[in-house]
Amino acid sequence: MNEKKFINIQIPTALANKIQKRIEGTEFASISSYVTYVLGEILSETEEKTEETFTKEDEEKVKNRLRALGYLD
Amino acid sequence: MKLDKKTNYIVSGLERSGTSMLMQILYAADIEISFDNSRKPDDNNPRGYFELDGGKIINLLINGEFNFDKYKAKFIKITAYGLRFLPPGKYKIIYCERNIEEVLDSMEKMIGIKDKNRDDTKKSFIRFNNMIKKEINNRKDTQSLYIDYNEILLDPEKNIKKILNFLDLPHLQLNKMIEIVDKTLYRQRKII
Repeated sequence: MNEKKFINIQIPTALANKIQKRIEGTEFASISSYVTYVLGEILSETEEKTEETFTKEDEEKVKNRLRALGYLD
Repeated sequence: MKLDKKTNYIVSGLERSGTSMLMQILYAADIEISFDNSRKPDDNNPRGYFELDGGKIINLLINGEFNFDKYKAKFIKITAYGLRFLPPGKYKIIYCERNIEEVLDSMEKMIGIKDKNRDDTKKSFIRFNNMIKKEINNRKDTQSLYIDYNEILLDPEKNIKKILNFLDLPHLQLNKMIEIVDKTLYRQRKII
């Protein structure tokens, strides 16, 4: 059985027309690719704003990365 | 252009978030910045790192060995983790933020190894970034300006004016500062 990688979503025609005008001359080849990008950015921002505690484990990961980059001994 | 003699000025942000570019922008405006040649320019920062002590300033801060008096009225670069160890004083911080995926891409390129636990690393850095911003916002001896690296590439004039206004400086060198924003250095750029 093939795994479905995409689903169809409906948006109002008026919105689709606005998007079409916006993407003219840009790197976006289609309304779908633009909408996919924008939704991805919004979800990403939402994840970033999640209030979560910075743990000792997080700190060790950050410090290890800083050591690898040469910012910490 | 002269800065306040009683204030320490800091460019900060996560590593690989545009801090070196911010230092260059300030330098172009003849704003005094302090750096040495302890870390030479390379493929990751072709124009240089604009930092002190080979980037190991954080160790000096942790040990309480960094002499802030020597750097009053000048900008120095202290990446985000070092802000946890700022002693009481008077600071103005320009904090650079960048799309977290681009930051991680750039870190991986600089280290030369793909991160197998990238999702975990990403979450840790997001929590870290949020924590640091909260900490410096809560300090009474600090004023902060947050600059988005991705936005400064899109609209350098608007964002550089924000920087100059934050520093109470005139816009005399605005064009020189704008020239520094070099989109060809934007190597991990995502499509807009």
